[in-house]
Amino acid sequence: MLMTNLNVVGKRVLRQDAYEKVVGGKGFPVNFSLPGMLHGKMLRSPYPHARILRIDTSRAEQLPGVKAVMTPKDVPQIPFNPIFFMPAGSMGIHRDMLILSDTVRFAGQPVAAVAATTVAIAEQALQLIDVEYEELLAVFDPEEAMKEGAPEIHVGVKNNIRDTPSFSAGDVEAGFKDADYIFEGTYETQRVHTCYMEPRVCVSDTDSNGHITIYSSIGHLFGLRERMAYVLGLPVSKVTAVQAPYVGGSFGSKIDFAYIEALSALLSAKTRKPVRFEHTRYEDFICNARHPMKVHLKTGIKKDGTFTARYASTLCDTSAYSTHGPEVILVHAYFGLMLGYRSPHMKWEGTVVFTNNMPGGAFRGYGAPQAAFAVESQIDEICDKLGFDPIEFRLKNTPRQGDPHPFNPEWKLNSYALDECLNKGAERMGWSQRAKTGSASGAKKRGIGMAAHPLWVSGCVGFPDIYEHSGAIIRLNVDGTAYLSSATMDIGSGQNTTLCQIAAEELGLAFDSVRMAPGNTDNLPFDAPTHASRVTYSSGNAVKVAAADAKKNLLEVAATVMEANVADLEVRDGMITVKGSPAQAMSVADVVKRAESPFMVIGAQGPAPTTLKEKGTIMGISSVAPPANASPAVAEFVEVEVDTETGQVKVLRAVYAHDLGRVVNPAAAEGQVEGGLQQGIGFALMEKMLFDPETGACLTSDFLDYKMPTAVEMPSKIECIFIESNEPTGPFGAKSLAEACLIVPAPAIANAIYNAIGVRIRSLPITPEKILAALGKL
Amino acid sequence: MALVKLKEFCIPESPGQVSACAAKYGDNALILGGGSFIHGLEARGLLSEVEALIDIRKLGLAGMAATGEGVRIGAMTTFAELEKLPELASAAWLGALKDALTYPPMQIKNVATVGGCIAASCPFFDIPTAFLALDAKLTVSGAGAKREIGLAELFAGLFENSLEPGELITEVRLAKPAGRAASAFIKLEGTANDLAIVNAAVRISVDAAGVCQEVRIALGGGVGDSVVRSASAEKLLLGQKLSADLIQHAAEAVGQDISPMEDHRATAAYRLAMAKVITRRALNQALSRLN
Ligand SMILES: Cc1cc2nc3c(=O)[nH]c(=O)nc-3n(C[C@H](O)[C@H](O)[C@H](O)COP(=O)(O)OP(=O)(O)OC[C@H]3O[C@@H](n4cnc5c(N)ncnc54)[C@H](O)[C@@H]3O)c2cc1C
Repeated sequence: MLMTNLNVVGKRVLRQDAYEKVVGGKGFPVNFSLPGMLHGKMLRSPYPHARILRIDTSRAEQLPGVKAVMTPKDVPQIPFNPIFFMPAGSMGIHRDMLILSDTVRFAGQPVAAVAATTVAIAEQALQLIDVEYEELLAVFDPEEAMKEGAPEIHVGVKNNIRDTPSFSAGDVEAGFKDADYIFEGTYETQRVHTCYMEPRVCVSDTDSNGHITIYSSIGHLFGLRERMAYVLGLPVSKVTAVQAPYVGGSFGSKIDFAYIEALSALLSAKTRKPVRFEHTRYEDFICNARHPMKVHLKTGIKKDGTFTARYASTLCDTSAYSTHGPEVILVHAYFGLMLGYRSPHMKWEGTVVFTNNMPGGAFRGYGAPQAAFAVESQIDEICDKLGFDPIEFRLKNTPRQGDPHPFNPEWKLNSYALDECLNKGAERMGWSQRAKTGSASGAKKRGIGMAAHPLWVSGCVGFPDIYEHSGAIIRLNVDGTAYLSSATMDIGSGQNTTLCQIAAEELGLAFDSVRMAPGNTDNLPFDAPTHASRVTYSSGNAVKVAAADAKKNLLEVAATVMEANVADLEVRDGMITVKGSPAQAMSVADVVKRAESPFMVIGAQGPAPTTLKEKGTIMGISSVAPPANASPAVAEFVEVEVDTETGQVKVLRAVYAHDLGRVVNPAAAEGQVEGGLQQGIGFALMEKMLFDPETGACLTSDFLDYKMPTAVEMPSKIECIFIESNEPTGPFGAKSLAEACLIVPAPAIANAIYNAIGVRIRSLPITPEKILAALGKL
Repeated sequence: MALVKLKEFCIPESPGQVSACAAKYGDNALILGGGSFIHGLEARGLLSEVEALIDIRKLGLAGMAATGEGVRIGAMTTFAELEKLPELASAAWLGALKDALTYPPMQIKNVATVGGCIAASCPFFDIPTAFLALDAKLTVSGAGAKREIGLAELFAGLFENSLEPGELITEVRLAKPAGRAASAFIKLEGTANDLAIVNAAVRISVDAAGVCQEVRIALGGGVGDSVVRSASAEKLLLGQKLSADLIQHAAEAVGQDISPMEDHRATAAYRLAMAKVITRRALNQALSRLN
């Protein structure tokens, strides 16, 4: 049963950092500086594939103001993989990147770095570095890269095929034989960037013992420490990563190591000065991006609308380095393509290919937006062709509440309300009045479409070799407030506020009595990165455990002081009372004061001893992983208007229904949905990074080149329906929200476009030109 | 960074001081209006030769006035100020300007100036397309001398204007056309923050019988190095009684006068097709304002 007598959780509280951010955000790492700091810049290769024959840095070194120059020979040649969420030495990842390498595999790969007294001098110095390259043949198309005779990008990787994961259940061929109908299609997605607002930035400082301290805009404090130590060949205890109070966006991008962190440390060690790097927007663009994927999907279906067999194959361009490729394709397959819908027979085959393109990275949804575009588009095609109602059809083929979790049958779908999402969303959108496909008249045609995502994660428990534990420390202050410390990085979604709400609720304090106290890797317990959809559920769980621990200690002291039984005490809104006799009360502040006071306290009545039992700072601590990985369930409905003369699409309205277990902060939850829809509309209709087909150079350098939806392109009506199914393993019943709201918009929009104009576009982005071409008008 | 050679930031208070600074730095002096275009050039490293910026805010070039003859707009008037011109709300003949001013983002409207938007000679902007349809005349002042030119004479090529070093645009004049006239403008854009894929502005006058007495059709946004007029389309309409068919036919004819380009915003084929669609829509929009 859903707990209803909550004071803080479920309330629309104001973010603690809201005002500060609006006026410039002192806490953003980009605003951080140290006295005497030098500025670093990287020289980048103009070639997509080359060997460096010679680098001459002498002219650069002579430029006044230049303090150090680094080339591949000056940096440890320790291969690494930049992903923070897996151990640096994990068997599950390929380590094929170097801080600076003699081999260039994508246009823009750094080949040298400079530290100088100003940014302008550092930039000038780059132009004075002479590099002699031996150009090698490059390949940018993953299908070309797999052909015999294609350039070899990594020595010994045949046909540039990094990995070929697969899985199957049942006998998919037999399943297709059983089918009354078979649907088949290929769905393609493009390379898009997360477009976080704050650039990647870091400042490293080295002390005389060689201990490195790094301040950074990264989304994982402990991952940063671990990767720094790994690539520099140091023990982790030689690196301290300092937590910024908040970071200006990540959306997945910043759970990777970039080149700048290690370079700043090396340059700092060499110069004995702090060294700062800040990416330009162009450098951010080529740092990492969502993997383009090509999905072939084949579905066998019975006359009654049940699946008999599902087959899919995925081609993933992992780019010049392995990075996330082998991992993202698995999440894509299990949680994106296959497990959300039941079928007796399933088979999936993946291919992860190297090309000379810029690195792939994590992006909110991690492989699932690419998958959902295929799955949800094809379901719409099936329903349209066979006359099924898309909602009933989905319910027929999706898991039910209480079912074993399709990924790990040891867990159950304890809370699971996909049916409610679909039904309530449909009702709000007026789904039953949806016009027949293509029946609208006039040049501008409206259509309604929907998509669901039946299975997703609330963290990473259960995945091999992915970190998933969190810790928290709660300390109570003599004024009755509490400090919460957690290594969770607030990347802009309001994590700090959510975690403070959870702590306040558990402690029995008012929301604004709990404050997030940032720390560093020396004094905080480990926390997994801010990625997946994990913070509220997983870090939130750890915060709740720490708060419960602190509360237990608080009540024990209170019981001594109040001469009451611990079991009889309760705390609410900062007051501790004996249950049933509210007159017997003491404030949290007074209890903490007693605990923090000297042994002998001289008051108005003279000296009075306090007892040893009361002594000590009242605190709580935790380091735990959640017991399961609860699945949210979502459905989104959109209405679009397609201008059939210009091909332009406007999203007029969106209704988003999401079973998130429990809403901790409705305002933050709505913000997530709006942001997800914005990124989803961009993915669906306009965003695409562009590259020179000859040189592979990224042509997207700023937001004049990169089209993402502005407030004007957003629908004026975005309606959220949050379904509170009360997940027993989540803090106060909560599970996740963050990613699913970006997984569903693209197929929902594609389906709405189909409903409006009867034309199916199977490659993103659905540009005006594609629409006009499909209508036979271009 | 981009302004690596900058030596001087001049803030002249008289035309003479403009000339002095211009004389000192010649081609390497750049006039600074609202700075919104210059900022983009700077960010892309295109101003590495500039030695002096001449900030013209103190020359008293902001302001606007409407008379029975038409409208005069000072070169330093921002889009946001221009939007407040009362005639925009009521005068059908100014419809194209009113429409064009709705498109730039608010941040740009607050700084971008009328002089800067035309001096930039950028074919992707909207206000110049509207001005061309409205037959804008410019006052240009240089060392001592003043001259009057038509807008088309200003455009010397892609991002190139015909001004001499030290010459300034001081004023833009729009003369009220005779008879029953109306104008309209449409921009096709990828997002509200983006420049035009294509844009079109038309001004049309008809007599009591609905016969077209005068028409000007201008197109911009990657259909040529500068904003262009479509003589072919204009010819089809002039002297004719306007019908839906004729408008459609004329809109098709714009293809003969433009050379659409391919870039990250659109293919040439799309631009060509869209130039026709929005010209037709702009004509219909103008006509609807006649009544
Ligand atoms: C993000 C963004 C979005 C935009 N969207 C739109 C849009 O939707 N529609 C649209 O129409 N435009 C748009 N623009 C373009 C905008 O209109 C121009 O940047 C602006 O009009 C330029 O005016 P300014 O006063 O800022 O010129 P500046 O940047 O100061 O100068 C531009 C050029 O003109 C010269 N110059 C300036 N004033 C004078 C003068 N009086 N005499 C002679 N030379 C002069 C300068 O030397 C420079 O070469 C957009 C721009 C940006 C950056």
